[in-house]
Amino acid sequence: MAEVILTNVRKTYGAVVAVEDLSLSIADHEFVVFVGPSGCGKSTTLRMIAGLEDTTRGTISIGSRVVNGLQPKDRDIAMVFQNYALYQHMSVYDNLAFGLRNRRVPAAQIDAAVRHAARTLSIETLLERRPRQLSGGQQQRVALGRCIVRNPKVFLFDEPLSNLDAQLRGQMRLEIKELRQRVPTTSVFVTHDQVEAMTLGDRIVVMKDGLMQQVGSPLELYRRPVNRFVASFIGSPAMNFFDVHVTAVPMGFRLSADGIDLELPQRRFAGLGAHAGRAVTIGVRPQHLRLGCTQVDQVGLSGQVMVTEQLGDEQVLAVRVGAGDIRVAGIDPELSLPTGTRINVAVPMDNLHLFDAASGVAIR
Amino acid sequence: MAGVANPMAGFRLVAVDEKKRFMLALIAPAVLVLVFFQILPILTGANASFRDWHLNDPKKTWIGLTNYAYVVRDREFLNVVLPNTFGFLAASVAASLIAGLMLALLLNRQFPGRWLVQTIVLLPLMVAPVIAAIMIRWMFNDQFGIVNVILEAFGIAPIAWLTQKWTAFFAILLTDVWLWTPWFALLLLAALQSLPPEPFEAAQIDAASAWRTFRYITLPMLRPVIVVCVVIRAIDAFRTFDIVWTISGGGPARATEVFSIYAYVEAFQFLNFGRGSAAAVLGAIIIVVFAMALYRLLNRWVEVSR
Amino acid sequence: MSTIEAIQAPRSRYFFEALAPGGRRAFFLLGTVATCLLFAFPVFWLVLTSLRPGYAVYYVHRGSDFTLDNFREVLSQEIVLKALWNSFAIATLATVLSLGVTATSGYMLSRFRGTIPTAWFGAIYVFRCVPYVSWVLPLYFVTRAMGIFDTYWGLLLPHVAVHICFFSWIMKGFFDGIDPSMEYAAMIDGCSRWGAFLRVALPAAVPGLTALAVLCWLYTWNEFLFALILTAQNTPILTVVMAQFVHELGMEWHLMSATAVLALGPALIVTIFGQKYVIRGLKI
Repeated sequence: MAEVILTNVRKTYGAVVAVEDLSLSIADHEFVVFVGPSGCGKSTTLRMIAGLEDTTRGTISIGSRVVNGLQPKDRDIAMVFQNYALYQHMSVYDNLAFGLRNRRVPAAQIDAAVRHAARTLSIETLLERRPRQLSGGQQQRVALGRCIVRNPKVFLFDEPLSNLDAQLRGQMRLEIKELRQRVPTTSVFVTHDQVEAMTLGDRIVVMKDGLMQQVGSPLELYRRPVNRFVASFIGSPAMNFFDVHVTAVPMGFRLSADGIDLELPQRRFAGLGAHAGRAVTIGVRPQHLRLGCTQVDQVGLSGQVMVTEQLGDEQVLAVRVGAGDIRVAGIDPELSLPTGTRINVAVPMDNLHLFDAASGVAIR
Repeated sequence: MAGVANPMAGFRLVAVDEKKRFMLALIAPAVLVLVFFQILPILTGANASFRDWHLNDPKKTWIGLTNYAYVVRDREFLNVVLPNTFGFLAASVAASLIAGLMLALLLNRQFPGRWLVQTIVLLPLMVAPVIAAIMIRWMFNDQFGIVNVILEAFGIAPIAWLTQKWTAFFAILLTDVWLWTPWFALLLLAALQSLPPEPFEAAQIDAASAWRTFRYITLPMLRPVIVVCVVIRAIDAFRTFDIVWTISGGGPARATEVFSIYAYVEAFQFLNFGRGSAAAVLGAIIIVVFAMALYRLLNRWVEVSR
Repeated sequence: MSTIEAIQAPRSRYFFEALAPGGRRAFFLLGTVATCLLFAFPVFWLVLTSLRPGYAVYYVHRGSDFTLDNFREVLSQEIVLKALWNSFAIATLATVLSLGVTATSGYMLSRFRGTIPTAWFGAIYVFRCVPYVSWVLPLYFVTRAMGIFDTYWGLLLPHVAVHICFFSWIMKGFFDGIDPSMEYAAMIDGCSRWGAFLRVALPAAVPGLTALAVLCWLYTWNEFLFALILTAQNTPILTVVMAQFVHELGMEWHLMSATAVLALGPALIVTIFGQKYVIRGLKI
């Protein structure tokens, strides 16, 4: 029913560019997550879709209707705010009914809708309370209820989980996912937490400095990041990077730096030829590193254990290789690795990422 | 290309206009009242200050800066009114700030009867300055006033408080401090109660004495509030009218006149509206410059000492 | 052991303990009582004077004749009754109007950035500094020219003008303390900008508004200079009437005191009922 299409959207505050030339088409019933560090323009984009900010240039359309210049109230959207933004002076029931009353819906219909939404979110017992009397998770549910009760074309979420503690956040994430299956509405979700982005989104939009970096499914972003920023932002612990120098050798390339010396066959990275004689950045996820010696289709590094972090189900190591440290995850928790132990680390060729050292663009 | 750009520009225009309209509508009533009942009178006064405008003989002929020349050469204005005004301002603000701070610190403690003490201390806030002034005048009456009765009980000769310059000035000052100390106390108490407890706990752990805690933790944290209070109060003290008018009427022999009294007396008692307006305009310029400078100065002081 | 304690004890405690056992507490008690006396005495004396018959008023501290005649006499004067009513009406109307006008203005200052708010903020800062005398003198002519001199409007609107600058500033503070996302939610829920302001932001600011209303009412009720200059026989105002007792009737302290106590009454009621709102509102 309602796809959201942004065309060449740009937003500036005086000389500051908040969002630059953003074009994106969000399909009906799709759940899109905008993710990026603070100040990257993701919230501004959401607020432009909501109509809380006007666009400097470009058009936004919701359900094939251009909404630029339309008031938020006329856009048929609903929004969940970071601090829930519940009306403190109204009961939960009135909070849920407020939007419908504004639209002059008959009282009986409002009552039915409110009760239904309350049942969906299991907050029926809280309807007479004031927002102040609710816990963070309950307030969150009321905020969600305020959205679904109106049955709008689009849901907008502005970092709705960031005020909750870690445990509750995980639980609410599941509830939002479950809610989606029952109320399949086009949704735009903004967060700075890549875990939320990965778990919730059908598609993820990574933003930085007002620019869209990459759009894709969670797995696409994880497996084929288009640049170093996306690679470092998605995945936890963060990807390891180290700068190396490329030289062409027969049948392949040699990547070398202080304490590092790798040889790659040409077939894997065809684009590397153009970088011979220059510097590139290698990226390896901590989860893809394995202890032990190199086998076929793997490249190896060696270094000294600096710190180990015991997580119970795994250990995460910080290993000094050359001048830099890399992190290795997924180590057997029973393994005893005192500081200073020399170890070899291997990485499968398929999980190696290469980026242009200057621009950060992925080399494929 | 231009055909695509135009509708977009149209949308932008509508959005901006709607927001601007809302902003202007929000301030419109305030602006209207301000224009008609403050700015218009100020301009009228400024206009009158350049004219020969006696209330009993309003010729209203343009006489340029004559009124200003009179005021700035008037010995009364230079040697009495200006020192009085600024002396009063400094003494009143300093005294009520210190007293208010002490009261706020007292009321910030928990002790039995605190509520009662607070209510009594806030009593002057609801007393009209005029009533307070009349009361002080009555208490300092040279024949029947309670102050002289008490002095007599201690064997001190009665003092003619309101017929001598400095004693009259003291009575005025006392009234002002009595009236405004609770105001400082209330605002500083509210500020004290909203300070975070952690620095005080840290000071306790560091074994800081009560005085050092106050000097190095409480005072610096209160400083922004103190600055704002002092600026507001100083501006108000500059334009004090009612208590001086009621207690001494500017007397004896215009010795306790402050700026507001001078302008009022020139305009409405000597009926020279032009001259009174010139004095008022001069005063306005002085206080606006003074307030700006004070704000800058205190602001810098706050930043530096942070 | 004891030396360590002595070093760690704050010097002040050391001093008071040396003075007398419990000396610190006694000192505080004394200071508190003295403070209360100092603050309460003028009011107490005023009430006492108002209860003395005319012949005994000059020796308030002697004799024990008390009477309510002063109040009876004062209340029998038509001008006092009129002044009581006028003061009440003006203070109430001025409070309502001032809050109405400055709530919107403060909201605008709090929620928007740009040239209009900056200019408006600069204007109210400058005009807040201008001494009352500089505009109340010509205001006499302005209200005369408008034909509202010595009427309710002629005093009411200047009073509102007095409050605009300061209250706009305070209101800005109140709204700064309220998260604007509540208004965004309301706008998405189908409110216009006005709707979001009136139905969400304004109710959230009620504690602050109440505190300001109490202060505004007290201020207007007690105000003297504007009332002195902008009113005449038609609209007597209590503070002016009171001051005239002293100037015109010479020494009628007992009547003046009775009038002053009458003026204090409503202020006391407002303060007692408003105190908790004021303190609550200021804390936010």
